[in-house]
Amino acid sequence: MPVTIDARGLACPQPVIMAKKAIEENEQVTVLVDNTMAVENIRRLALKLVCGFSVAERGAGIWEVALVRTGPMVEAARDKSPGIEEGELSCAVPAGKEPDPFVVALSDNHMGRGDDVLGDILIRSFVHTLLQLQPRPDTIICYNSGVKLAVQDSAVLDDLQQLAQAGVDILVCGTCVNYFELGERIGVGHISNMYDIAETMAGAGRLLRP
Amino acid sequence: MKEQRYVVFLFPSVNYALKAEKILKAAGIVHKLIPVPRHISSDCGVCLRTTEDKQQDIEKELLGKVEWDKVVLL
Repeated sequence: MPVTIDARGLACPQPVIMAKKAIEENEQVTVLVDNTMAVENIRRLALKLVCGFSVAERGAGIWEVALVRTGPMVEAARDKSPGIEEGELSCAVPAGKEPDPFVVALSDNHMGRGDDVLGDILIRSFVHTLLQLQPRPDTIICYNSGVKLAVQDSAVLDDLQQLAQAGVDILVCGTCVNYFELGERIGVGHISNMYDIAETMAGAGRLLRP
Repeated sequence: MKEQRYVVFLFPSVNYALKAEKILKAAGIVHKLIPVPRHISSDCGVCLRTTEDKQQDIEKELLGKVEWDKVVLL
């Protein structure tokens, strides 16, 4: 008996994750989805796992996707279970809409708690590494003592400047700059307010805080 | 102008790297503490990066004060 998964109304990548889990546990799986992005993601999953794939439109924006295991599960695929690789997924909304932004919040000029000397080295390494990160953050927000990373004599100023040049939007909390009296010394990004900061954080697809 | 290549100084531990940084800061030699590049193996996670032309100055400055493991061209 094929197992039926109802993934209607679920946001990407939930449908494909559910489909992957189901086909790992069952020979035949039917997945109900309500968007073509989910159909495409499951099609790619089927290719990767080497299982049979078919899709039928049920009308009213509902698709029925059938997966059938054709042999033993591909070893490599099983090992990675239940994680799904980035390449298998495409949650980008087609036709004009930008994917949800990737935001990094620098809330401290140290990384982690425990030892500030170590925390200082770690945050410097972290900011330097952001340059090589793929995908790159869309926005970096500096607040509280994180604004100290954006001053002219900061050890990561050149890294932040390079990120800004690469198109990363850097928001620096104005209240914090004022509090630490750093007004004249900010060397990168633009002074921002809590409205923008809260909005950016709330609208983030991913929010990373070191 | 020829583009400067970078070299990194690798240290036995983070504390050596920090000590070296302090000395170079005091001496006014431009450098940067960065995570050890992935392709170089080192027990210590951070290293000192500088341009190739400053390598000798740095070695002179650190000699007898801080040990380093090796210098690698990036």
